[in-house]
Amino acid sequence: MCNIDVTGLSFAYRGRPVLTDINLKVDKGSFVVILGPNGSGKSTLIKLVAGLLEPQQGTVHLDGLSPQTYRKQGLMGYVPQNYGNNTAAFPATVEEVVRLGVIAQQPRVSRTAARHIVDHMLSFVGIAELRHRRISDLSGGQQQRVMVARALAGNPRLLLLDEPTSGIDMEASARIYELLASLNHNLGITVLMVSHDIGKATQYASQVACINNGLCYFGDSKHFRSHYKESPHSWYYGA
Amino acid sequence: MEIWQYDFMQRAFAAGMVTAIVCPLIGMFVVVRRQSLIGEGLGHIAFAGVTGGYLAGVYPAVAAAGLTVAGAIVIEIIRRRHSQYADMGLAVVFYAGLAIAIIFSTLVRIPGAGMLSFLFGSIMTVSQTDLLLIVATGLVILAVVYCFFDKLMLIAFDEDVALLAGINTVAVNMLFSIVTALVVVTGMTVIGILLVSASMIIPVAAAHVLKLGFRATMIAAVLISVFATFSGLVLSFYLDIAPGGTIVMTSVSMYTLMLIGQAVQSFLSKTRRRQLVLPAQK
Repeated sequence: MCNIDVTGLSFAYRGRPVLTDINLKVDKGSFVVILGPNGSGKSTLIKLVAGLLEPQQGTVHLDGLSPQTYRKQGLMGYVPQNYGNNTAAFPATVEEVVRLGVIAQQPRVSRTAARHIVDHMLSFVGIAELRHRRISDLSGGQQQRVMVARALAGNPRLLLLDEPTSGIDMEASARIYELLASLNHNLGITVLMVSHDIGKATQYASQVACINNGLCYFGDSKHFRSHYKESPHSWYYGA
Repeated sequence: MEIWQYDFMQRAFAAGMVTAIVCPLIGMFVVVRRQSLIGEGLGHIAFAGVTGGYLAGVYPAVAAAGLTVAGAIVIEIIRRRHSQYADMGLAVVFYAGLAIAIIFSTLVRIPGAGMLSFLFGSIMTVSQTDLLLIVATGLVILAVVYCFFDKLMLIAFDEDVALLAGINTVAVNMLFSIVTALVVVTGMTVIGILLVSASMIIPVAAAHVLKLGFRATMIAAVLISVFATFSGLVLSFYLDIAPGGTIVMTSVSMYTLMLIGQAVQSFLSKTRRRQLVLPAQK
């Protein structure tokens, strides 16, 4: 488990502000979904929390450590945006991709131990029968399960996901959310994910953070759902 | 057999086999990183190195290695700083290499045969020194691939994920660029500057048709490359033509045959499926 402490965070791309004075405290074992319109800074926030970008103002702490220090301990799993980059077309089997997650965190792991972890992860996310298939031959939902299995193979305390359900059908999307909720509930992994699917995301997440340059809303997902039903676009401007 | 009686053929085969193994090993990573044209650009810089070597009185292959490695470092720096226009940086270095080669070649009198052997490859001109350099460079490339295989694969898969795993992606990418430059220089003598990039890419493209995993695709690409190089050198000897062309055309033929095989297999499986569905509908 991991707690996330974001204080006074601001970030701009070439002078264009994307995030302004974000303050966010996520407790250990939470499942938080970040919502917001296109270009609102959701992916930027995830990358700042992951330490892939440096804050221009403010700080990010994970269990009191900087993201760069935290990730060196191998406690962070990251699932990047799948579509539009290399991963979906990568010429590797499911087993090879999940193994990358193991060797990324434990470079000196033995072959037998790595295989054992891969077996366990594939069974856990329900794709054990696909282990010898090429990832590019799988459906979008199956590919995302592989990505989650890879991220989990390093045994993380914090799982960061950037739109893991984009481009996949509703049924597959629901299965991904169920899997994340189960990881959060059964293993106590803190989950922070970006999504566009307000209905599904708020159904499974415990908390919601709405971003539109600044933080518009941060709180209980049930409260957000009831408010959102009354005013569908209120999250753009702050609930 | 007559072909094995000549020392120059023995050297050509030894150099060809080293090239056949290392080209697809690095080519596999080059393809999945979407940098298939990098070998072409580095080949032009190697050409500048060869002409520069003649001009400065340095052994051409050594001069080519030095300049190509320097060019690879510049390409990697541009790629990192201007990731959205990475191909633009490659094009700049590509044309600069060619321009320098043209300038150098007008400043020094290079024997026509010497120039052509570097451009198109030659089985006659692999000297003992060339062979030693090729074997030494090949061993360095094999050692890098063996030691950094997982890191290179993870970076090729997703650079952000690799960075989060604590991998020094800047250093590993730089090392990869240097090794790619060494592959180009290794293949230059036998295959030639103009086609060395094809030896990195075409066997990998052919192996991709088989739809295997990453390691299996890499092994298949090496086997295809070894077969193409062996056949190409034999053809080159008996037909008295440049080996670069015969090696690459053998690879292209294998790739084409594999694509045809794949299309036939797909057609047959569709027909079989249709035959299974039709009786069920009746």
